[in-house]
Amino acid sequence: MSSVIWYIYEFARKSWAEKFAAAKTDSEIMEVPSRFRDFPEVRKEYCIACGACTAACPAPMAIKLVRSSDSAHEEGITYPVINNRGCIRCGFCAEVCPTDPKTLLCGENHLIREEFTILPVDKMFVIDDYLCIRCKKCLKACSQVAGAISEVDNKMVIDQSKCIGCGECIKNCPVKGAVKGIYINNVEEQKEIINLVVDTLEARIEAEQDKIKKLAPEEIYKIDFPINDLIKKAREIIPNDELIRDSIEKITDRLKMRILTWDDEKCNNCRLCTSECPSGALTYDKEKGVQRDADKCLRCSICYQTCPFGVAGFFIARFLLTDANIQNGMIQITLKPSQLPYRS
Amino acid sequence: MLDGLKDIIRKSSIHVCLVSTGGCNGCDIEVVALLSPRYDLEQYGIYVTNNPREADVVLITGAVTEQWRDKLKRVFAKVPDPKIVVAIGNCPLSGDVFNQEGGSVYAPVSEFIPVDAEVSGCPPRPSEILAAILGVGPDAIAAKGRQKV
Amino acid sequence: MILPIGPVHPNLKEPLRLKLKTRGEKVLSAEIDYGYVHRGIERVMKGKTWQKGIYLSERVCGICSYIHTQTFAETFEKIAGERAPLRAQYLRVLTNELDRIQSHLLANSTYFKCIEHETLFMYMLYLREPVMDAIELLTGNRVNMGWNVVGGVKMDVNQSHLDSILKIILDLESEYDRYVEMFEHGPLVGLRSHDVGKLTREDAIKARAVGPIGRASGLNHDLREQHHTYRDNFDFNVIWRKDEDNYARTMNRFDEIKESIKLIKQVIENLPEGEVRKKVNIPAGYGEWRNEAPRGEVSYMIETNGNLIKNISIRTPSIMNIDACAKYMLKDVATVADAISTYASVDPCIACTERVVIVDESDNYREYAYPDYKLEYKDK
Repeated sequence: MSSVIWYIYEFARKSWAEKFAAAKTDSEIMEVPSRFRDFPEVRKEYCIACGACTAACPAPMAIKLVRSSDSAHEEGITYPVINNRGCIRCGFCAEVCPTDPKTLLCGENHLIREEFTILPVDKMFVIDDYLCIRCKKCLKACSQVAGAISEVDNKMVIDQSKCIGCGECIKNCPVKGAVKGIYINNVEEQKEIINLVVDTLEARIEAEQDKIKKLAPEEIYKIDFPINDLIKKAREIIPNDELIRDSIEKITDRLKMRILTWDDEKCNNCRLCTSECPSGALTYDKEKGVQRDADKCLRCSICYQTCPFGVAGFFIARFLLTDANIQNGMIQITLKPSQLPYRS
Repeated sequence: MLDGLKDIIRKSSIHVCLVSTGGCNGCDIEVVALLSPRYDLEQYGIYVTNNPREADVVLITGAVTEQWRDKLKRVFAKVPDPKIVVAIGNCPLSGDVFNQEGGSVYAPVSEFIPVDAEVSGCPPRPSEILAAILGVGPDAIAAKGRQKV
Repeated sequence: MILPIGPVHPNLKEPLRLKLKTRGEKVLSAEIDYGYVHRGIERVMKGKTWQKGIYLSERVCGICSYIHTQTFAETFEKIAGERAPLRAQYLRVLTNELDRIQSHLLANSTYFKCIEHETLFMYMLYLREPVMDAIELLTGNRVNMGWNVVGGVKMDVNQSHLDSILKIILDLESEYDRYVEMFEHGPLVGLRSHDVGKLTREDAIKARAVGPIGRASGLNHDLREQHHTYRDNFDFNVIWRKDEDNYARTMNRFDEIKESIKLIKQVIENLPEGEVRKKVNIPAGYGEWRNEAPRGEVSYMIETNGNLIKNISIRTPSIMNIDACAKYMLKDVATVADAISTYASVDPCIACTERVVIVDESDNYREYAYPDYKLEYKDK
């Protein structure tokens, strides 16, 4: 009984009676504050198809870039399309969009424009100063992204804090290797792949020692090396096909391998080379004659220049990766005798 | 005439069963917020009991996890006809962020039970859920009731 | 006999199976069966950058989703050896306390629904709505806010935002005491809550109870005292009680809401000027960080490889609290209805709980080892 009286005291107030009599649902439950993020709105005309929104989205099937078909009057335009069933309304795509004014609008997220890059890039783009010819085609290709490439002191420089990693500069550069996209993660795995490729190529060439020894000074020797086995072993290190192909291409573009062959039959044991070898790879043994230790050899070519009988042969190998497709790729190896002067 | 009377009764008193098949519970919280005096779901005659055996509308939230694959069909079979299913949130529609390699969800939920209406968002605002339920709910139940099996 | 309280139940928000061993109406002991919500989040987060990982860590739990992002960001900041700018730290405290208020009000409203007091259930939800409005005004969404980043917060606030939030908090404070008094002195509510579901201090230490459940059993321990922002800039009290039943746990949450209101007023008065976000360079390494979620202690252990997450491990408070409930509180409870209301007063959040737990042969939960953390309980 006491609880009933207590509750009646609680409810028999004037304010409660007034609110009860006039109760109805407010219309302001349907209003949203200005920061509320609805599904992003797309303004097609500003899109430059850089791919930053697609790379930054955390949900797997929320956004993709489509291109409308070309018509008689104009080209088709590329723009992002958002799938309402997959989008989590986080607004990250509106933040990373680099255009001005922005293509994607979401709440107030599109007003965020930080000075440093917030996009999760995994490739860092640098310009190789030695190969760059200062044609400025990369500058023109990148001009919509507010000065990521600029010219400083007669050199082309990429500002890492503004670059969004879209790759337009590489596509427009006429020199192969002047702009490089470097993978900044998995550095240890990239080192292992480089070691693996160099060791495999060297072993393959040294297996053909007998044929190489007999090359005349102006002749060229070619080997075609299919890379299937190499790819299989590289996939065990890191299962990323694009990274593997990129690494192999970068190695084969700039690698200049020095090959040393040794012809024991011509040796007369004059021992002029053993005193010249800087690493001690050549030793003289009374029964066996002059011995070469391939592990200590630096391929410096001093023995080649010293020997009067032509026991050591020195060759230069260059490489070329032919097919862009990683399955049928072939490395073409070209061997040439060195042009260094030698006695004989 | 009897059909007209049945329609009126089915539209004005709806019992709802909420089945949460394993999501982050954000959408469950928004459904509980619908019972608060501001949105007041009960003024439209909708009563949230979590009992499948007396429900007209089944609300599904959350992405279907490993343990719920067979149990969801059993719960759905216990609900008496006529019934409609509403999927709330992005998880039952596409698996949301959990549907990547390494996650153990089976999406979408329409592989297991038939879905009649959906509200997307992560999570959808209570005013959006309310608009969807009021726009679709009563008419759909009345239409299902009038179907001859 | 064994009575299963199943995954779909009127009083449970989330799927979990409770098996109660009863003799007649009296409950002797209980067993918990869970695994319905396991989605494999830690496995999905492996190998992703932190920009994508922070949106995943929000969706571990929907009720306490803010504190997960703050702990994630602070772990990365610890690996880099930096701290967020001061204005960003104040804004983080503001959102943290708003989130704590709404979570405690929701937990208490579930408890009242379990003991069939629908009036207070509706009142708690009515008080909660303006707080959700404040969160939406500040961050953009009610749940899963997307507000924290490594190095600060995303957007700045201006004076009109702060004025609206202050008005909401003052309105809440002025009518708050009346509702608490309905629970504190109401005669029938007291009968259902006093001396039901006791967890003694020794049992709480054995079961490693954390959060309001541990503090209502006499353990005077709150992680906010050790956090660098709270320790240097704010003053607040740790709320704890000595009687160990349902009544103490609910009243503990009510009192913590008052402390949060005090903290929010301090933030709004003393907000310093400055930037809210700065660039952080993250090296490879390992770091761990602990924070006080509304339910207890949440901790993240992350191993990174530059920007990428190599390995991550999340430990949430509900694992320990539900264990304390099942083994120590549900012994010799008078009726089945009391058992369910005891379970609801523990405030379980099952979506947080679903990690892989290793159980050894003697049926105890194995605790993760923290090498340089000393657990200190101050005396009563």
